[in-house]
Amino acid sequence: MTNGAILLMMTACFLGFGYMGVPVAFALMAGVLAACALTPISMQSMIGQMFHGIDSEILLAVPFFLLVGELMTSANVTNRMIRLAQTMVGHMRGGLAQVVTLFSMFFAGISGSSTADVAVLTRTVAPEMTREGYDRAFTAALIACASTMANLIPPSIMAVVYGATGNVSIGGLFLAGIAPGVVVGIGLMIYSHFFGPVGLRKPRASLFEFADAVRASILPLMIPLIIMGGILTGWFTPTEAGMVASVYILLVLVPLLARGHIPNLPRDFVYTGLLYSIPLALVAAASAFGWMLAYLRGPDIVSSWIELFAGHDGRLIMLLLVLLFIVIGDFMDAVPAIIIFMPIVIKLNELGNIQPLHMGVVLITTLVFGLITPPYGLSLLVASKFVGVPFSRAMFASLPIYVVFFVAIGFTVLFPDIVLYLPKLLLPESVGCFKSPSGQGYICPP
Amino acid sequence: MVKPPLVIARHRHLKWRALDPLEHILMVFCGISIAGFTFSVFLDVVTRTVGLPILWLQLATTGFFAWGVFIGMAAATRRIDHLNLVEITKRMSGPRRTFMEVFNRIIILLVALAMLVFGIQNFMNDLGSFRAPSLIPLATYTASVPIAGALIALFCIEQLVNGWRNGFEGPEDTDDFVGIVK
Repeated sequence: MTNGAILLMMTACFLGFGYMGVPVAFALMAGVLAACALTPISMQSMIGQMFHGIDSEILLAVPFFLLVGELMTSANVTNRMIRLAQTMVGHMRGGLAQVVTLFSMFFAGISGSSTADVAVLTRTVAPEMTREGYDRAFTAALIACASTMANLIPPSIMAVVYGATGNVSIGGLFLAGIAPGVVVGIGLMIYSHFFGPVGLRKPRASLFEFADAVRASILPLMIPLIIMGGILTGWFTPTEAGMVASVYILLVLVPLLARGHIPNLPRDFVYTGLLYSIPLALVAAASAFGWMLAYLRGPDIVSSWIELFAGHDGRLIMLLLVLLFIVIGDFMDAVPAIIIFMPIVIKLNELGNIQPLHMGVVLITTLVFGLITPPYGLSLLVASKFVGVPFSRAMFASLPIYVVFFVAIGFTVLFPDIVLYLPKLLLPESVGCFKSPSGQGYICPP
Repeated sequence: MVKPPLVIARHRHLKWRALDPLEHILMVFCGISIAGFTFSVFLDVVTRTVGLPILWLQLATTGFFAWGVFIGMAAATRRIDHLNLVEITKRMSGPRRTFMEVFNRIIILLVALAMLVFGIQNFMNDLGSFRAPSLIPLATYTASVPIAGALIALFCIEQLVNGWRNGFEGPEDTDDFVGIVK
């Protein structure tokens, strides 16, 4: 049997079992074990690869960013940020829709989890939107779309996984994710303003009300500063920054702002313990799948197909990868997709001489789009379930909003100078720059 | 916010009450693992900052982390919280549903048995490998894989037997994501 045939069989096993309802982690491992039967690779080594896939200190950042989101949500500290967003944009046309987007931008700077964002908004703002007459399908669609920013604006779990697997600077990916995140945020606000429901017009908040809301939410809003400040100053690794943010919430935020929540903290740890194991079980299985894919020369096969169409043109290669990942994102979770396809991405980066950090942020922007597209739009599924509207209605309501994501993806592909501006300025090494021999400034590749 | 009990009532018809304490223990272990590595990373940063680094703390951190992942994987199997590409079986009923649910769990069972059998082989090999600087046997980490395999196999058999007896249909068919997001 040729490598290509084994590769197809392995992929068919994974997709076939996956679409029959086998959980993704087990469907991936079933595909790998089936491939082992047809290759000299032992099943023992592939089971070992599951362990080695998660045996990485960098991946520890994932549970920390989930813990931060869980603690903030569970202790109801997020309400303060919602109030701040209300004083800033609540008076605009479609005020609550604007609040959803602005709050998601704030929350994205704290948690790396889109589902945590959906959980907060569907419990707090969604009922109020229904009372004000917003169509529930629009509410679910907007919340799902806004929640994708959690994976663009730092800290981002997808960036951690991409950085850990592709050996790319996570700090650089965090900084590069800000531009597409802001584009999505502004795009959603523009869409809500011109095309969304009007809602109830409210008076503009007074300066006093705004100042009071800022004062109330100043402590939670320190978290993005702690995370990014710690990473950029070199004090912490992303993992340590996540830990410091968690400890800050435990020792400062909860005692000062939600003292009554202290008895519930052990439960928060228990649930986050379970919550982080689910994506990391995917990482373990996907790393075995990715290893087997690389062994079967999958990257060579795919890159030769892409080379056939795009030659060595970096931008065209990127465009084809975007199309490929839009399809992949529709059908599978972003975390295993990143790990499985990383060998192919690395190969194509070399082929088209593409800056790995740029490719990373383009692919992450593309994969977050998969969170709102059927059939596997996890954010949209969760939002529609919690808002209480059929998935199909929420999906139709989200279709026009897809334009915002196409613009964000296009922007990320076409304007690398803007996207990579912050990494170049604040973490030059992350984009391949190195210190000038004279000791002054950096020398960067063109 | 009121939190649900550690052993959730969902999918009750697929569970034996006798295994509830085990689910409870696994959930507590998940909490201990994340609390453990939060504390060890915290201590690592503090001791490094004051100039007295404790090198074995990093080994403790990765140990808590790896065990947490694999034990959580087992707990998520009992709670049916793993991520699926589609929830196709929840829209089925009768013999078709039974066939699909049994087939899916056989696949999970086979993977779990592979984790158990080959995980034990890896564990035995790793008894001779040590992690610097404190020379902890690598087997103390990799033991998490066969143990998770055994637990997943046990929960799979539990669901197969109870599903065969009681049917796989349940009220949870309409609330797919409640378990994951609470």
